[in-house]
Amino acid sequence: MKLQIPIREGLFKDIDGEATLIGSKCKSCGAIFFPPKNFCLNCSSKEIEPFFLGGKGVLYSFTIVHMPAEHYEAPYAIGWIQFPIGVLVFAQIKNWEQTELKIGMGMKLVIGKLWEEEEREVIGYFFYPEEDNSSQSNLKES
Amino acid sequence: MREVVVVGVGSTVFGKFPERRPDELGAEAVRRAMDDAGAEPEDIQFAYSANLYGGMVIGQAILRECRITNLEITNVENACAGGATAFRKAWYDIGSGLYDIGLAVGVESITTSSIVGKLIPPAKGDLAGELGMNMVGRWAMAQRRYMEENGVSLQQIAKVAVKNRRNGCLNPYSQYQKEYTIDEVVNSRMICDPITLLQCCPNSDGGAAAILCSADLAPKFKRKPVKVIASVVKSGDYLYRSRSIGFSEMTARSVKEAYEMAGLGPEDIDVCELHDPFSYTELAHYEELGFAKPGEGVRLIEEGVTQIGGKLPVNPSGGLESKGHPVSATGVAQIAELVWQLRGEAGKRQAGNPKVGLAHVLGGEVTELESGACSIHILGR
Repeated sequence: MKLQIPIREGLFKDIDGEATLIGSKCKSCGAIFFPPKNFCLNCSSKEIEPFFLGGKGVLYSFTIVHMPAEHYEAPYAIGWIQFPIGVLVFAQIKNWEQTELKIGMGMKLVIGKLWEEEEREVIGYFFYPEEDNSSQSNLKES
Repeated sequence: MREVVVVGVGSTVFGKFPERRPDELGAEAVRRAMDDAGAEPEDIQFAYSANLYGGMVIGQAILRECRITNLEITNVENACAGGATAFRKAWYDIGSGLYDIGLAVGVESITTSSIVGKLIPPAKGDLAGELGMNMVGRWAMAQRRYMEENGVSLQQIAKVAVKNRRNGCLNPYSQYQKEYTIDEVVNSRMICDPITLLQCCPNSDGGAAAILCSADLAPKFKRKPVKVIASVVKSGDYLYRSRSIGFSEMTARSVKEAYEMAGLGPEDIDVCELHDPFSYTELAHYEELGFAKPGEGVRLIEEGVTQIGGKLPVNPSGGLESKGHPVSATGVAQIAELVWQLRGEAGKRQAGNPKVGLAHVLGGEVTELESGACSIHILGR
């Protein structure tokens, strides 16, 4: 098995089988950011704590990309997912082929392989449309 | 700040010229601008040169081909807003009194760059880029949001492509000179759903240049001067502060400053060259620039307001979609088009008898920011 490395440290976590993104929360003004910041973009406070965004959001917007990217074959789907707290997260959407993607539909966070290199797999996060129940297959510890 | 005027502009034809070096393209634009002004190499005291993909000190290489050496040359990069940034800096250096006569040039050779035929990704190491983001995708998601929020159809958006491509047919500098129907635009090859090929600007090579001087020196040159009455360049704010990814807050903020600087409002603009890398962005920019109320941009295209012959012609040059988008050249090319329009020299694409023109450009994809840079220039005669 190849070495698994996260695309970035400290962005996501698997807690008892439930994937969550890790943002930051300002202890002073309460602003929440993802990716996490070590100081607050809203008020400049350095009093920051981790904030678990959870693994569920709704689709804010999306597109199917019909040309390949450095690590991805075409077509692939990308989107903005809005979390209940209001934060927008950009990520790929997988398992989109079987579903008609629609703004406002429920989305579920999945932690898994983004791409493979010669000696390692890069692990990151993406989303499945929530109606899809096959989302357990790709879950891994980050 | 003292008054600054444009006394000469020049541009190459835009197109695909892989056999031509970027400095050759830039030099052709500069020589045309020099000829337009009746300026000599010895007149030029300083220069700003914008380029993204060509390598180091390209401004020096451009001006070497024009017999312009031994002066202050600054090379700038601000993605698609690079040319506008170069123009603004030239304006500032004269307005502030540092110099009296200078030039701004923008050049790009996309066909010889590393990104030819690809979807432009964000800078290396950008998290969104590694997750699959690209420039078309970013705007496709904004377009979907804009369509949803404002009840705008793809057929309506395609009318922008139809208009701009029709305008391009009238412009000898335009990369494309071909008309298309709404159906052809909508049914062309899908790039990033719902953006199809004919809603996109192409890969382009080209250069554009402008000669600027203080207003008191304008009589030295042979052409009637065009005044720079507002100049703004602004970086993007955090995307989370935007009301929607389909609305360009930085455009709205930049143009507010520009209108204040000019002492004018959107109702005073007679002709506009705006950033239309994708057809939908033109509709959104109508609203952000104050030409239409929020959500009502589509009315301007439906009612023909922004076509040549309408009350406010937008992108008479053909815009980025038809004229082409040699990234760093675009901002200066917009200035050149406005100067020609204001002088009444735009030939078949002449947009009436304009007195005031506005140029708008957005540049650069940066994770977590709305965009890299926005520039507004207002020119008048």
